[in-house]
Amino acid sequence: MGSAASAAAPPPPPTAQPHMAAPPYGAGLAGILPPKPDGEEEGKKKEVEKVDYLNLPCPVPFEEIQREALMSLKPELFEGLRFDFTKGLNQKFSLSHSVFMGSLEVPSQSTETIKVPTSHYEFGANFIDPKLVILKWNCLQLILVGRVMTDGRLNARVKCDLTDDLTLKINAQLTHEPHYSQGMFNFDYKGTDYRAQFQIGNNAFYGANYIQSVTPNLSMGTEIFWLGHQRKSGIGFASRYNSDKMVGTLQVASTGIVALSYVQKVSEKVSLASDFMYNHMSRDVTSSFGYDYMLRQCRLRGKIDSNGVVAAYLEERLNMGVNFLLSAEIDHSKKNYKFGFGMTVGE
Amino acid sequence: MASLSKRGGGGGGGEGEGILASWMAAHGREAASRAKKVVRSTGKAAWIAGTTFLVLVVPLIIEMDREQQLNDLELQQQALLGPAPLK
Repeated sequence: MGSAASAAAPPPPPTAQPHMAAPPYGAGLAGILPPKPDGEEEGKKKEVEKVDYLNLPCPVPFEEIQREALMSLKPELFEGLRFDFTKGLNQKFSLSHSVFMGSLEVPSQSTETIKVPTSHYEFGANFIDPKLVILKWNCLQLILVGRVMTDGRLNARVKCDLTDDLTLKINAQLTHEPHYSQGMFNFDYKGTDYRAQFQIGNNAFYGANYIQSVTPNLSMGTEIFWLGHQRKSGIGFASRYNSDKMVGTLQVASTGIVALSYVQKVSEKVSLASDFMYNHMSRDVTSSFGYDYMLRQCRLRGKIDSNGVVAAYLEERLNMGVNFLLSAEIDHSKKNYKFGFGMTVGE
Repeated sequence: MASLSKRGGGGGGGEGEGILASWMAAHGREAASRAKKVVRSTGKAAWIAGTTFLVLVVPLIIEMDREQQLNDLELQQQALLGPAPLK
């Protein structure tokens, strides 16, 4: 706070003064002393900023730059019934079962939506170990998650903190249909005021991103990726401004997408979010506005967007570990109505 | 609306009146179709507004009310039993 005030104040004292003592004198001396030449002033400013630079907070990961907006505006809407049950066998190991019955939309060229009734059961196993030692090499945290569906799809995730700063993440999705399986390795490095990530995926996908805190509130990042099989590459820039009351982000990518988001925390329980997306290739613009209420017994999220889609998602806590879900989505322009209800037990 | 235009057509006696009647009938029909359109579009707008309200606002009102009730209950209990030992 002190350094910020001195940066805002008119010409600071000569650079010879130790900068630790500068803030108390700054304002008072500035009034007495005549304005200093530009060179000196710049040098002083740099020093003042340098103090800030040294203790900048670590930014959020590049992929999660819009997480607050996404949390409010993109709940997991579904149509039909879902039931999720998680049972912990011991502190580290838990099993999950989930049943889904309802209809899934099939993407089609025509404007009419085609829905196919589906039902599936998913079995999952989770292993979380906060401290694990394998052959003298200690891995700080290990998370293993596996999911198998009745239609043969398998999803596996591994997250392993190799050292305090380096994290390895592996994601794999396997299907019996050829060319739909996916695999991805992520290496995340967390520095004091920056984060860097390197990604390798199948189909010769390579990606890297870097995000750096510029001021205590502002962070900026960039990413590049290369899709070997499709011979495509891209570059993107992002910046995020967050204070304790609001979060604003801007993302631009060479694929022609401009995305803006803004989240305002009205109170501890209420936040309002809005986002704007412009796709230069398809020339479409969408924006949406939503609210997110975190009450004691429930969490309610609602949003409305410029395509005429209204959605609400309610998670009501009935009891300890028993949640009741209600999901509604109304697309007025396509006359596509989706309603769902469900239960989450366990956790 | 259709009966109105019919009456207009049937009531004409002379030639001038006949033309007037047919003119009125044509206008009446146009007005009727316009009114129908207006009614239909207002109905549609009301439907969209109503369903949007039902999805976005009604759950919010219910949940806010519940929250308020819970708060009141807690306050009442605190007033009766003194500050809760858990807190």
